[in-house]
This record gives sequence, C-alpha cells and structure tokens, in this order.
Amino acid sequence: MSSILIVEQLSRIYHRHQPDEIAALREISLQISAGEVVALTGPSGSGKTTLLSLLGCMSRPTSGNIQLRNRNVSKLPERFLAQIRRETFGFVFQQYHLLRDLSVLENVMLPLYPSNQPLGEMKKTAIKILEQFELAGMMKKKIKQLSGGEQQRIAISRALVTNPEIIIADEPTAHLDSELSQDLLQILAKLNQSGKTIIIATHDPGVYQSSLIQRRFNLRHGQLVEGQSS
Amino acid sequence: MILHPGILSLLCGSLITFLVMLFASWLGVRILLRWDMESSSEEQLLLERKTWLISTLLNYALGFQVFSAVLFVFTAEDIHQLFVGAMCATGSLNANLVGWLVLLVKGILLFAAAFWVVLNRLDQRTEDCPLVRPKYLALVLVTPLVGLDLYLQWLYFSGLQPEVITSCCGSLFSAEGESVASELAGMPVKQSMLLFFLILGSYLIILVACIISKMAALRHLLFIASVLMFFVSIGAVISFISLYIYQMPSHHCPFDMLQANYNYIGYPLYVGLFSATLYGMLPGICQPLRKYESLQREIDSVEKQWLLFALVGVLIFLAISCGQMLFGSFKLLGY
Amino acid sequence: MLRQLKILEFTLSSLLRRKHKNLSLIAVYTFTIATLGSVLFLTHALKLEATGSLTTAPDLVIQRVAAGRHDLIPTKYAEVIKKLPGVESVTPRIWGYYYDSLIKANLTLVGTNSHQGKLDLLEGRLPNNPKECAIGIGVSKAFGPAIGDNLVLEDSKKSRIVFSITGIFRAESNLLTNDLVVLQEMALRDFFTMSPQLATDLVVQVHNQREVKTLAKKIKYHLPDTRPITREEILHTYDTLFNWRSGMMLAVAVAALIAFCILAWDKATGISAEEKQEIGILKAIGWETSDVLAVKFWEGLVISLTSFILGILAAWIHIFVFGAPALVPLLKGWSVLFPEFQLTPAVDFYQIFTLAFLTIVPYLACTVIPSWKTAVTDPEHVMRG
Repeated sequence: MSSILIVEQLSRIYHRHQPDEIAALREISLQISAGEVVALTGPSGSGKTTLLSLLGCMSRPTSGNIQLRNRNVSKLPERFLAQIRRETFGFVFQQYHLLRDLSVLENVMLPLYPSNQPLGEMKKTAIKILEQFELAGMMKKKIKQLSGGEQQRIAISRALVTNPEIIIADEPTAHLDSELSQDLLQILAKLNQSGKTIIIATHDPGVYQSSLIQRRFNLRHGQLVEGQSS
Repeated sequence: MILHPGILSLLCGSLITFLVMLFASWLGVRILLRWDMESSSEEQLLLERKTWLISTLLNYALGFQVFSAVLFVFTAEDIHQLFVGAMCATGSLNANLVGWLVLLVKGILLFAAAFWVVLNRLDQRTEDCPLVRPKYLALVLVTPLVGLDLYLQWLYFSGLQPEVITSCCGSLFSAEGESVASELAGMPVKQSMLLFFLILGSYLIILVACIISKMAALRHLLFIASVLMFFVSIGAVISFISLYIYQMPSHHCPFDMLQANYNYIGYPLYVGLFSATLYGMLPGICQPLRKYESLQREIDSVEKQWLLFALVGVLIFLAISCGQMLFGSFKLLGY
Repeated sequence: MLRQLKILEFTLSSLLRRKHKNLSLIAVYTFTIATLGSVLFLTHALKLEATGSLTTAPDLVIQRVAAGRHDLIPTKYAEVIKKLPGVESVTPRIWGYYYDSLIKANLTLVGTNSHQGKLDLLEGRLPNNPKECAIGIGVSKAFGPAIGDNLVLEDSKKSRIVFSITGIFRAESNLLTNDLVVLQEMALRDFFTMSPQLATDLVVQVHNQREVKTLAKKIKYHLPDTRPITREEILHTYDTLFNWRSGMMLAVAVAALIAFCILAWDKATGISAEEKQEIGILKAIGWETSDVLAVKFWEGLVISLTSFILGILAAWIHIFVFGAPALVPLLKGWSVLFPEFQLTPAVDFYQIFTLAFLTIVPYLACTVIPSWKTAVTDPEHVMRG
C-alpha cells in the first residue's frame, strides 16, 4: 500500500525561545498508508491533539516535514493549508463544532462554500449525504434541538460532504454511551470499506482495541512510545 | 477655501486613506525586514497573517481611489457656479493650476493601486510568494503619492477663490489658448482622427495577436501600444470625440459627458478606455515575472482573461466614441 | 465570482441570525446618515429655490452708493443708461423694508411697476388703486387676513394707513414672495415719503447676455457713484452662501459621525466568543482567511447600504414632508418671516454620492482592522475545544 502521509522528525514547540517554552511534540516520525485506520492514543497532554492538528494541516510544525501524497505541506502558506483541509480532509471534532443557530442542512453545506459548486448543487450534495445517514427528515431542524448522537452523525455528514480521502476524528466517543459508540464504529468501518483513510485520536479502549483499528500510535510527553500494534 | 460638502468628503476620505496607507506601509516595512519563507517561527506566521491585512487595506484603498476620482470630477463640476465665467468642471480646474495636477496624481494612483492589487493577487496564489519584497517595497513607494494626492487636493481647494474670474471651457479649449489642453483641441481634426485610428488599429491588431500567440515580444509591444493608446485617446476625446458627443463644433470639455444631460455616456467610455489600458499593460508588466516558475503558471492561467478584458474594454470604448461619428447626425469633416 | 455570491448569501443569513446584535448599530448609523443627509438635502433644495427664482431676475441691477452705503438712486440716471448701446430697457424700482411691531417681523414693500417676478402665482389681482395691496402668503398667515380684508401699516409719521387686500401670492416655492407686500408705486412713494426723482435701484435688461459685463463696466464708467450687480454675481453669492452654510452644519454633524465611528469600532472589536468560535470552525473545515474577510466585507456593505437607504429616506421625509423642523432654527437668520417649507423635492445623484462617500468610507475604515483580526483566527484553537 502506498503511504498517504509521511511524517519525518516532526516537532512542535510553543513559545519558542521564551521562558514558558513547551515542546508539545518531539521528533516524531511515522507513516500512514492509504486506506488505513489508525489510532493515536495517550493520556491528555501527551500531544495527541497537536499531532492531529499537524496531520490535518491546521497548523505548521516548528521543524520536520509532513508529506501528503508526496507534497511537502509543512511550509505552505496558510491559504494552501486551508485548501488542503477542505479538499483532502474531513474533520469530526470532539465537541462536534456545529453552528447551533443553523439548520442541519446549512451546517452540512458549510465546507462547500469556498468551492466552485453552485448553491443548488451544494444543497443536493448535502442532502445526498444526509440521506445516507437517515438524517434527511430533520434537515430543517436547528442543531440546538437535536440530541448528542444526532449531532455526531451530522458532524460526520459534514466531514464527508466534500468526499475527502482522509477522515480525522478527535475523541469521537467522548460524549456517547456505549451503544452509540458501537454505532459510530460501524459507520467508521463502512467508510473504511469505501476506501477512506481514518485517523482517530482517542483514549477510549473500546475504540482503540476494536477490530477496526489497524495500527495504534501511542504518545507520551510528545514522543512515540512502543505499543504500536499492527 | 470653500466649505462645500463634496470638498469636505474628498478631504476627509483622502486623509483616512493616507492614514490607512501609512499604517499599511509600516506593516510593509516590518514584513520587508523580517520575512523569511523558510522559517516556521510564530513571528513568520504573524507576518503572513499581516499580509492579509495589507491586501485588504489596499483593496479598500483602490476602491476609494476609483470613487474619489469620480467625486473629484463631480465636485469640480458642481462648484463651477462659484466662478464667474466657468461653465463646467474645466473652468473649476482652471481656477488654479493645481487642479489639473490633482487629476493627474489621481490617475497615476488609480493605475498604481490597480497594478498592486493584481500583482498581489497573483503572488498570493503561489506557494512561495516570490513577490513579497518587491510588493512591499512598491507599497512603501506609493504611499508618499497618496500623501501628495491629499496635499495637492488641500492646496487646490484651499486656494480656490470664488471671486476669481476664470475662463470657461469655451475659452480654455478654444483654438486661441496656449495651454496643453487647447493645443489638443486645436489639432486639426483630420490628422488627429488619423492618428487615433492608426494607434487604436495597431493596438487591436497586437491585442488579437497576443490572444493567438504566446510570443513574449508581442506582450512588450502591447504594453507600449496601450500606453500610447491611452494618451492618444484622451487627446482624441478632447479633440473630436467630445464634439460628436455634444454635437457642438466647439465644446471640447472631457468631463461634461459624465453628466446626466449626456446620459452618463462618459462612464462606459472612460471605464472602457481604462480597462483596455490596464489589461493591455498587464501582460507586458508580468513578462519579467515569468522567471519565477510558480508565477509563470499563475500568469499563464489568467493572461487570456486579461487580454479578453482588454478587448472588451477597447470595443466598448470604440463603440461609444465612434458610434456617434457613424450614426449621429453631426458631421465634423467637411466643415 | 460564484464563490463571492455564495459567501454573500451566507453573510446575509448570518446577519439575519444575529439581527439583534446589529440592530443598534444600524439604528445609530441610520441616524447619523439622516442627520448629514438632512443638511445636504435642505441646503441643496434651498439653493435650487433661490437660484430658481433668480432666473427671472433682471440681468443688471444698478444701485447708487453714497458714503460706501446703498443709497436712493436718481431716476435721471435711467436716461443716461438707456442711451448706451445694447440696453433693452431701464426700469426704476421702488421697494423697502417695513418693521411691524405687532408681528415682530420685517416685511418687504414693493411698488407695482417694480416687481419683475412672475405674477401669475397670484390669487386675486394686483392693486390698481392706491388703497389696495397684494401680500405674500407669509404675511397673510401672520396677520390672518384674506382677500377683501384690510392690512394696516403705520408710516414714519405714526399715522395708520389702511390697504385693502386684493391678492395673495401663493407660490409653490415661496422663498422670495413670502414676506412681500405689493403696493401701487405712488402709494409706496407716499408711504416711504420718497421723492419722485429718486428710486431704490434701477433694473436694466440687456439684449445680448454676453454684453452684460461690458455694459456693467460702461455704466460704472459713466456713472461712477453706482454699483452694477449682475445676475451671475447674485447667483454665485447665493451659491457660496449655501455651500458655506451646509459646510458649517456638516462640520458640526461630523461630530455625530465620529461618535458613530467609535461605536462601530467598538462593535467590531467586541465580537462574542461564540462568533469567534464560529469563525474558527469555518476555518478548520477549510474556509480561507480571504473567505472570512469577504464575509466581513459583505457584512459591512450590507449594514452600510441598509442604513444608508433608511437614513436617506428619513432625511427625505424630514426635509420634504415635514419641512425640516430640526434644521430650520439654524438656517433662519435672514428673515423672521421665514417661509414655511414646502420645498420642491429635489435630490440629485451628486448629493447622494457625496453622502455615501462621507459616511461609508469612515465606517469601512473603522471595521477593517477588527474584521482582519477575526479573519485570522487560528483554526487550531478549535481542536482544543
């Protein structure tokens, strides 16, 4: 399998050359293949979120390289990172991060605004995704009227609306009971079958020990420790 | 000094723009000193974000320049009543010599700001931003011009004495006068028409050739043709196009056509001329930038668009200026 | 292009979402524009009124100057002027002011032969015997009389003279006829005790407009103690006066503009945590800084234009429907019997353009830095909750 993401000697240091300097990540190297499902694990403060945001092109590393499909993205200007975020990645955040005053449909359409799709087509694309998750019936409802499980599925729909290659999920089961967590894992498994690469940051054993996860990267104090499973 | 609403808003607006530009160049200087594409420091990230602020400020400043040029001509038109003998904007501009200078500086600023915005757009589309330094250097150089614009406007308006009896455009552009403008009007119509159509014809031919071929020399030629066309056309507007528009054998004012009496026909005419000049000059200006690989790609992708804009512009200009000649009842040749 | 339109659509919907937050801003913005707009509209309309009524004014008015002041002019001067080539007619005018202690106002008394204005605006008829008069609408309102009633004036010897009213000027635009009382010439001479050899001034009509200035010079040469005033001079004096007045008022109103800018700045900088979070989310899911800047630009434009249209409407209603109640006290000055406004609605493109320039530019300048600050929100913050 070809590598979709290659990370070399990646470091992220906050407040560099200042008294409160913190090294969130130190010289991490790893590779993720296309179609793989990987888990980033470790206690809070271990650098999971920092690594996830670097992998998702939300920020730039202090040093080291990230190759996305053979393109070095570690030094790109922000506007190209934004373009990569919307074309290559789909994000599912821990807090879902839906806009509460907007309707379900409007939320799912959000990532399509910077594209060249006309409004009508954007709507069609969004509805198609909502239908897949059996959410089409509630598309006129506002987010604040919905339950946590529903919100999560809407967040996933939003992540998928641009048809990204890579899905990044940050603690996706943090606010779900075990039954809903199982549903989520099934959804992710289905997505993986359709060819998506999935990166999950989690400290929920129910997730990282499930059969879905093909590899696990364990982080401690900003460094990878053994415990990778294949 | 005349307290006049239009003058007040022009001066206020120019002052605000000047302050904004000063701020932008201060940021620009910091970027010039500290910019390092290779660095991943937080400072570099901050500078990168500042570039967005500067481009937004400059976009606004360009928009302002467009409206301010229009408002300036409008105001000159409106205050002509204050000068005994002045019949239109030309009379007010004549009231003291600075008036024409203001118009000139505004014209230069308009082009400078437009070029900056276009180049900035190109540069922002590349990953390595090769134009960062030239861009901000240019910004620092243009800012004094904005200051000059403000200063000249102040000088012009504060020097206006309503009692001054000025000549109206009838006498400024009448063939006996001695200023530049009157010489243009005094140019024999036949010769100036010939020159106008010759230059416009060659501009069109080079333009079409540029659309078809990718040759670099053609772009340089088009640049020269655009500049020539601009001045010759302005001359032609004063010399004979205005006569056809007003249907009067001696009214040479280049501003009256912006008024409602003439259906605002001056706006499409000047917009056409400006865009034909601007977009005609751009491919030539960008020629030396092709040495950067990333820019070359961007230039290639937009150049055709520029050439088409130039074509549309020149066609609009031609249609309006010559439409009256061909279909109007007014005949100039033969007199 | 398409992208911009979509972003505009998004902006509109998010503005509607937060309408309460923007309502106060729009209200103050509208008020500022209405204030500035009222000043511009009013002075423009007044200028048009004044210059409009002056188009029927005489080409040349000849006054006599004695000891540096306006003095009565001998009617024999008319003979001298008549002989100059190019002169069509010379008419002596008799007019003057009369202070009425009852209504505490100045009236303008004019002799019939002298009034050159349009008399077709009259209801009733002009006086045709020394016991009759015609009055302006303002006088009629102040005294309350109508046609057929009597107007009592007191001459310099304190004797009361009764005139019966035969006509009232009901001008659509009544700036000049408002405080007018028209009497027969002889009656007026008696009233002012003015000798028949003298007149207030002379009105000269000229065959060819282009010769007005030359004639004025010639008259000055032949009659050195006169002051010829051309219509153009009067026009541009009016123009200067009105520009000055509106400029002064605008300068005062700029204070309102500055206050508004401070509010706009404050509103734009103090964005809520919720809004900041929203921008962060948009950026995280792939919106560029320029997209957010575009949202902010459209937002500013929509707010500006909404307020602008509302403000202009308010100013228009204030001036042309209600007659500028808030501004009249500032403008009065020259006559106590100031016309009750029924100004002819006249707004031109230039006024609106100036107003837009004066109000929208400062607003955009105030909001550009705060909106940039919002637009560069770091998407990474979103990941951290």
